Amino acid sequence: MKATRIVEAVLFASETPLAPAEIARASSDLTPAQVEEAIGELCREYEREERAFQIYPLGDGYQILTRPEYATYLERFDSITRTQRLSRAAVETLAIVAYRQPVSRLEIEELRGVNVAGVLRNLQERGLIEVVERAEGLGRPLLYGTTRRFLDHFGLRSLEDLPRPEDLQITLRAER
Amino acid sequence: MGSRVAESDDHFVVDIERFQGPLDLLLHLIRSQDIDIFDIPIAEITAQFIAAIEGVERRLTLEHAGEFLEMAATLVRIKAQMLLPRREGLLEAEDPRSELVRRLLEYELFREVAYVLGDAEAERALHRGKGYVEPRPPADLMELPLELAIDEFLEVALALPAPPAKRPARAPVRPITVDEKIELWFKALKQKARVPFGSFIRRWKTRVHAVMSFLACLELAKRGLVRLRQERPFGTLWIYRGEGDEDR
Repeated sequence: MKATRIVEAVLFASETPLAPAEIARASSDLTPAQVEEAIGELCREYEREERAFQIYPLGDGYQILTRPEYATYLERFDSITRTQRLSRAAVETLAIVAYRQPVSRLEIEELRGVNVAGVLRNLQERGLIEVVERAEGLGRPLLYGTTRRFLDHFGLRSLEDLPRPEDLQITLRAER
Repeated sequence: MGSRVAESDDHFVVDIERFQGPLDLLLHLIRSQDIDIFDIPIAEITAQFIAAIEGVERRLTLEHAGEFLEMAATLVRIKAQMLLPRREGLLEAEDPRSELVRRLLEYELFREVAYVLGDAEAERALHRGKGYVEPRPPADLMELPLELAIDEFLEVALALPAPPAKRPARAPVRPITVDEKIELWFKALKQKARVPFGSFIRRWKTRVHAVMSFLACLELAKRGLVRLRQERPFGTLWIYRGEGDEDR
């Protein structure tokens, strides 16, 4: 059996992103490097054949997803699995967790100037953040970090994909 | 709504619920007026901030209101410190605004990141994975709206068990009207939230009552005063009390 087709079969059957190492479990002759190679080949094939889907990198894995131009058609299938957009408060809080992790609730509240207990609980329930450790010191507060699902939700490969501060458009940045 | 015009020279329409807290509001005031963030006219900004949050305790929960009020207090404190004469030789002393500026710039950075992430989220949402379109569950008959043509309905009503063959002695026939049945429906539905059609007409022996009762409930359903429900063809037809007819 051709490696490319085995990789395709595994990706096709999966509802979540799979890392090359996970895909390689499909066959003893398959190495993660070969999986990467096969994915590249499949991507070019789908592109050439103008398929409605493509293989996208998400976190440390890959998943077959539909191409954006078909979103409007799929929206008609009002499915319960539809990912709900996060509130601005939630995204701001996530941004802080993503850059400052591991970070305590108090640090986030100081940065945002508002209480974030409810937002944190909500983000934790949605699996976008998790408690990664406890800080030393008074009360040993919980420290939060982002999860694999966080990367998936925003279509990021890794935390390196987050915008760098110097790339952001901050108005009237005065020199000092 | 929650819009407010700040009592200042500039007319700001500030909808406090729109802001993610005091830092967000303060940044809005500064950035929308092209103010140099390193030289904030603290008296002016404080006045605008306080005007914007006027009545905040009525519009937000106590906790969120507290966040805005705390910032107002900080601004007033900085304003007071700015008014104190600075002693000679202490020129290098820290500007009372510097801590606030540091917080604002830091917050602004994350606010920008949040905008970028928001765009990334929207872009990601355009891609759907396997399982997005779910298998359709079989329709629940109980939940199906009752949509029947009147002749189909009549057919069911008339298929009800025929009255016993024994005919009562002929008496002058009193005309039976739909209006009369409507009144009886109201009466029955006053006591119960729903009434099965069969039990409602059981007290009469002739078909004309069944037909009139049936037409009456169709009329009521048309006017939206009752709802009709039947679980399956030829099943029990339930007449439900409609909403908003308590005064009847």
